[in-house]
Order: sequence, then structure tokens, then C-alpha cells
Amino acid sequence: MDELIAQFAIEARELVQQASEDLLSLEGNPAGRERLESAFRAFHTLKGSASLFEFGPMLRVLHRAEDLLSQARAGKILVDADLIEPLFAVIAWVDDSIDGISQAGRLPEAQERQAARLLGLLSAEPAGPDIDATGDSPASISDWAAALQQRVAASDHDETVVAIRYEPHPECFFNGDDPLATMARLPAIRHLSLSLRQPAPAPGTYDPFRSNLLIEAVSAGSLADVDAVFRLIPDQVKLVPISGAAGGAMPATVSDNASVRPGSTLRVNSARIERLIEIAGELVIAKNGLAPLADDARNHGNGPLARQIAASHAEIERLVASLYSAVTRARMIPLEYTFRRFPRLVRETSSKVGKAVDLVIEGETVEADREIVENLFEPLLHLIRNGLDHGIETEADRLRQSKPARGRIVLRTCQRGDQIEIEVSDDGRGMDPQRVKATAIARGLLTEGQATTLSQREILQFAFVPGFSTAASVTDLSGRGVGLDVVQRSIQGLGGTLDLQSTVGFGTTFKLRLPVSFSMAQLMVVKVGGERYGIPISDVVETQKLPMRAIQPVKSGCAFVLRNRTIPLLRLSDLLSLPSSEAPSDDLKVLIVRSGAELIGVAVDAIAERAETLTRPLTGVLKGVPGIAGTTLLGDGKVLLVLDLEELIQ
Amino acid sequence: MTVTLEEDAITLRGVCGVEEVEDLVGYMERRPDLPVDLGAATTIHTALWQALMVFKPVVSGTPASPFAAGQVLPALHSYLDENRGEQT
Repeated sequence: MDELIAQFAIEARELVQQASEDLLSLEGNPAGRERLESAFRAFHTLKGSASLFEFGPMLRVLHRAEDLLSQARAGKILVDADLIEPLFAVIAWVDDSIDGISQAGRLPEAQERQAARLLGLLSAEPAGPDIDATGDSPASISDWAAALQQRVAASDHDETVVAIRYEPHPECFFNGDDPLATMARLPAIRHLSLSLRQPAPAPGTYDPFRSNLLIEAVSAGSLADVDAVFRLIPDQVKLVPISGAAGGAMPATVSDNASVRPGSTLRVNSARIERLIEIAGELVIAKNGLAPLADDARNHGNGPLARQIAASHAEIERLVASLYSAVTRARMIPLEYTFRRFPRLVRETSSKVGKAVDLVIEGETVEADREIVENLFEPLLHLIRNGLDHGIETEADRLRQSKPARGRIVLRTCQRGDQIEIEVSDDGRGMDPQRVKATAIARGLLTEGQATTLSQREILQFAFVPGFSTAASVTDLSGRGVGLDVVQRSIQGLGGTLDLQSTVGFGTTFKLRLPVSFSMAQLMVVKVGGERYGIPISDVVETQKLPMRAIQPVKSGCAFVLRNRTIPLLRLSDLLSLPSSEAPSDDLKVLIVRSGAELIGVAVDAIAERAETLTRPLTGVLKGVPGIAGTTLLGDGKVLLVLDLEELIQ
Repeated sequence: MTVTLEEDAITLRGVCGVEEVEDLVGYMERRPDLPVDLGAATTIHTALWQALMVFKPVVSGTPASPFAAGQVLPALHSYLDENRGEQT
């Protein structure tokens, strides 16, 4: 890939992110000056970056968007939905384009086709989009505002004023609104006029509780102050600032340098960090070679040398450990990196499905390995969409159940030791165990008899079975053939677990537990058939030494009883298709491992040492080999295969 | 009773909230001949102002609130002046 294009893609993603955060903030608080400046800078810089390439209409689109923001900064147009919506569309469009651009080096055709629509959206603004600088002519503002301007022009020549057109909602009296009392809060009113939107009705049919008013006014207060008065009813009000004859307010200028923020971060190719971690990992192992050296020296009768070696072993061990943790930290990024993409996506999706939903994000500063954080995006997005689509009810349904009209999805993270816990919960309708049970039975996953013995919680876990979906209809949103089973698999792929809790009527919570990083894993080294294998200690519940007579043949297999529980016994040599070991000695070494909800015994020839190592996932051709989690280097330089017992057992 | 029907006028007194609008409309429908006196009112809810615009009675007196007196009442008068001709 072209180096410049790659750079553009990285920068554009960040700017898109910045702009969408700013726009979201402006949507909630249109008077947020800093956010407006920041959004302007993001669009400005984005335009600047795009201008280095031939991205067809992208430059024009960004130019218009930047123009609009520049007018908003100058107070010539309002920061309202009419401004923000098209800008969101532009941001989404740029975001969609980046992937194509970094692959092909040009604007993808699909996006190119949309450019005209975007330009249309952007120019639908009240003020012409190409006006660049000073001086508003009355022609560029709405007729009503111009008429109001005429009214005050005679008396006040050089004031900058705001023309206000307020059409109270017909039902506003029921909401406790008193529109004229709202008007009374306006600063420096220069003019007020009242009229009826619709002609007066025939006598006897007048409904005095419906507002039919049109209120127009001129205020000499600042746009921000006027805007603040109508903060809660922006949809019913139009504001147009009109500059006075003496020139009006000059647009505030923002130095372009402001976009160059001195950063304390350094962008480093992740492959280099990767390499550092690799070397640090190998150092961890190399230093393990010093211990046998000290033993050797002692065995040769050289006590002082042995002590010296042992001392430097300890020192090197300490340094290597801190080096290792430092380079691992370099890969850690806050979860915010992934989380911050959600607010815009939730906003888009919720408006698509016509549900009002608030996304609450907590604990986004918790850090985890870059690979984990990045790979969390898809599964989390799926869970959030799932909540939006299937969980959160329609507004009418919610009100009927005395729930707040707006749904709520909470994305909460906290760190527990070397694990992170992420909860995705919605306050929607919850999952009905009866329905899950019925579906599971219908799909033949469960018999009626089995179903009666399962707890509700256990029944809910059937939602993770491949092909299982309780949604009555496939929606375009979360029903794209991607089930919860896929989400669960990808979480497991990251070394995590996914759990589901749900209460009918109160919502569903998915709980993800993930390692903070793929750091040092404790391995148990076992011997079988003359070979050594590593098994993650986290997979092993306990180890047992069993006398041969404790093993009972059951059908074609074996089992034993442990604490009144019958546990099936498998031999690792069989699982690995190795020649079975010589005549079994009197005792059998058995690892007790968990497979799903079951405990299973796995017999090995011997349990050797424990080792703290870095397990690397298999790459290349070996990637698909089932039952092998990865490889690691041992202190003696030998490569150890690390087994995935659960996969082997299946 | 902030909106009352008296012999020679419909009178608004004190704080006139939205709940008074039905009374006001009832009186104006029954006695279109009577003026509406705002002189004793302090604040008047928008719904009542709108009713005055719809029924177009003769309006007398000036309410106590400066905004009502200085902005809304003149706006009402100018609306009534412009539209009184259309009354059926």
C-alpha cells in the first residue's frame, strides 16, 4: 500500500472519530463553542489531507461541510439538526470510504455515487453554502427574518440582532409549556408579534387547549443567550442572526495551527512493538538457562561461582520481568479506542429502527492488549445491536409498561486482577426462558424431559447454540445470519468467556470476561509417549494420582469416581494418536479438566515442571491444526506444543 | 376565580393559568358584547392570549407583568387591529 495513502487512512479515521464526537456533543449542547471549533478543525484537516489525493468529489463534499461549520462559527447559521444531520452523513460517508481508499487508493464507486446526494444535503441549508466571508445580504436570509429586520431597522441601526420565529407545538399547553412566558425570558426584546397559524375556527369548535400560535420576535441578545432560552424546544423555533448595518460581528478566526496539537504520543508500527515483545519473551526463557548453570558450578565444587551466577540470575530475572511488562504495556490501549465508535453507530441504528436509545459507556479508560481491544469491536457491536433490535421495546410499549420512553444500553467495563469484565446490558424486554425452551425443543436441541431439569439460567444458555435464534423475523440489523454463537466463539478466541443473564421485562445483560493481555501464561508441562506438551494451568481444575484399580471400564471407555462423582477418563496418548505408553505403572496421573459443564479426567504419563512462558498462536499452515493452542520456547531451547484440551476432547 | 363574568365586563385577576381558558372562552362565547378587562391581572397564560386573538373582544386595561404590558398587549392590539375587519 502507498505509504501516503496508509497515513491518510490512519489520520482520516482519527479525524472522523473526532468529528463525530464533536457533532454528538453539539447535538446535545448546540452552544458548545469548543466542540464547534473542534469539529471545524477536524473537517478542515480532513479536507486538507484529502486534497493531497485524487479522491473525486470528496474534496468538494468536505469543502462544503467545512463552509457550513465556518458559518456556524461566525454565528451566521444555527447549530441545529439541520446543520448536524448532513454533517453526520458526511462523516459516515467518509468513514465508509476509508477502507476502500486504503485498498484501492481511490474513492470507491459506491461512495462516489453518493457524493451528489451529500452535496444536495449540505446545500439545503438556509444560507448559501459558498458564501465564504463577511456581510449578509437580506437575500440570503429567510423572508420572515428579513421582514422582521425591516421592523427593527428603523430604530436600531448598528445592532446585531436575532430574528426568532417560534411555532409552539399544538399540544404544548398539555406539556405545561407557556410559550409567552418562555418569550419573556429572552434578553433585550426589540419586537414581538403574534398571529394565528390557521384561520380562527368556526364558533363552537374552538379548542382552547391547542396552540395555534405563531410568535415572531427580535432580540438584541447574543445568539447563544437566545438559543439557551429555547434549549428544550429547538424543533419549534427558528433563529436567524441578522447583522446590523455597521458591519456586524466579524467571524472569530481560529488559527490553523490549533489543529497541530503537541502530542506526547508516538506512532510506532505495531510490528516493531511485536518484535520487542518477542525478544523480551525470548529473554525470559534465556534467563532460565542460568539456573542450571549455577547448579553445574555447584556440582563441580565451585560454590562461589555458583553463588555469583545465582545472584546475577536474580538480577537479570528482575530486569527481564520489568522489561517484559514495559513492552507489554506498550501494546495496551484503553478500551475507549473501540468504545468510542459506538455512540455514532447506536445513534444511526436507533433512528433506523425508530427507537430512542441512550448509550451509557462506563470504564472506557480500562486498558487491555491492543489485539483484544480491536477484536472486541465486532462482538460488542453485535451485542449492542442485539439489545437495540430485540431487547429495547418501542416507545409505546415502554410507556405502557411504565418504563422511561428512551431505552438504555449500558456498556460497562471494570478490571478485576488480570481480567477485564465488560457488561453489555439493555433495559428492554428480556429473554423469555419459556420461549427459548420451546425453540430449543423445536430444534431438537433439548427434550421435554431434559428441559424440566434445567434452571432458567441454563435454558438461556441455549441462545449460544449455533443456529439458534428466537427472533420471530430476520431483521436487517442484527439478524444477518450472525448468531450469538459467533459472538461467543470470537470472545473465546480472545481467551475470554461470554455469559448471559436476563429477566423478562427488565432486560438482558451479557457479561464478557477477557484477559487483559496475552501475557505470560502458566503452563503445566506433561509427558506422554516420550514427548512433552504444555497445558495452560487455567484449563486444569486439579491433578490426581489414581491407583489402577480405581479405574472402571464403562462400555468402550473408562471412568473413575472422584468425591462421589463419576468422571470419564481419557488418555492423552489416545487423544493425540500417539502410541500408547508402556505397561501402566501402579499409579495413573490424571489431570481433571473442565469441558463445558462436565469434568473429564485426562491421563498422562508424567507431570513435569511448571513454566511461565509466552504462548504464541500458531501461524501459517499450522493455524488450523485442531487441539493445538500454540507454541512456546522452553529454557533449554526446545519448542513445546501447547495443547487446547477442550478442543482435543471434542 | 381569576376569570369572572361581571355585569359590564369579563375580568381577569391575578395569576391567570391555562386552566382558566375554558371559563374565559365560555364567557366570551356567551357575551361577545362584553369587553375583557386585563387591568387586575398579573400574568396571563398563552392559552388565554390565544383565546383573545380568536374571539377578538374589546380588550381594556393593562396587566401588571412588564412583559405582558410592554410586549404582549401591544402585539395583541396590533393583531386585533389588523384582523378585526374579518370578524363575521
